[in-house]
Amino acid sequence: MANVETSLKEAMTAIEGSLGAALVDYTSGMALGTVGGGKDLDLNVAAAGNTDVVRAKVRTMEMLGLKDEIEDILITLGGQYHLIRLLRARGSNGLFLYLALDKARANLAMARHQLRRIEAELEI
Amino acid sequence: MRRALKQLAGARQPAAADPEVLRELRMLRSRVPHLTGALAVGAGGALLAEDAPGARNGPLAALTATVLADALRLVETADRGRFRELLVRGESGYVAAYAAGPATFLAVLAEPRANVGRVHLEARRTGARIARLAAGADEGPQEG
Repeated sequence: MANVETSLKEAMTAIEGSLGAALVDYTSGMALGTVGGGKDLDLNVAAAGNTDVVRAKVRTMEMLGLKDEIEDILITLGGQYHLIRLLRARGSNGLFLYLALDKARANLAMARHQLRRIEAELEI
Repeated sequence: MRRALKQLAGARQPAAADPEVLRELRMLRSRVPHLTGALAVGAGGALLAEDAPGARNGPLAALTATVLADALRLVETADRGRFRELLVRGESGYVAAYAAGPATFLAVLAEPRANVGRVHLEARRTGARIARLAAGADEGPQEG
C-alpha cells in the first residue's frame, strides 16, 4: 500500500507524458495532494473545476436513472489528455485522482491501466 | 490594519451601496453554484454592498468585523503574516471571509454542497478586485 504523496509521485514518474497529478475531495473541491503542474497548470484550479465536472456527471446519471458508478472520465484536448479516476476503495469515497498528460508523449491505454493500479495501491 | 479592525468592531454607520462593488458581488454569486450570499464590509463595520437575500446582513457585517479582529490577532500571534481568509463550517453551510484591502473584507455565505475549492478561488479574485476598487475610492475625500 502507498500513501497519497507516494501514489501521486508514482503517477508522475511511472506514467509516460504526465504533466501533473492531484488527489481531490469532490465534496469540497479541495486537493488532498498535488504533484507537478506549474504556472501553465494550476492543480488547485484543476481540482476545483474538475469537481464540478464529476458532480455534473453524477447528477446526470441520477437524472437518467442509471444505477451505476463512474469508473473514470477522459477529456481529450488538442494537446493533452485529462484523466479523472474515482476512488472506490473503502474509506475513500468522494475522492478522485486527476492526471494531466501530454498527448504527444502519452499512451492512453497504458496511462489508464497504470492509474487503475495506482488507485488500487493507494491507502488514504 | 489592526487599528482599522478595532474601528471595524466599534462604531458602524450605514453606507450607500457602491455600484461597482455590488457588481463584483453579483458576478461572484452568479459564477459559483451554491454560493448564496456575498457582502463587502468596509471600515467601521459598514456594509459597502451586499448581495445576500434572506441573510441578516446588518448584524452579519458587524459580527464579521468583530470576529475578524480576533482572527487578525490570532494570525499575528501565530506569526503567520497578514490575514488572508477565514472559513467557518456549520452544519448547514459555510461562512467565509477574505481580505479585500487594508480595511475591507469580503464575507461569503455558501450551502453545505458548495465547492469550497471554487469558492476560495473565485472569492480571492473578487477580494482582490474589491481591494482595487476600495483603493481607488480612498483617493477621493474621506473622513478620518
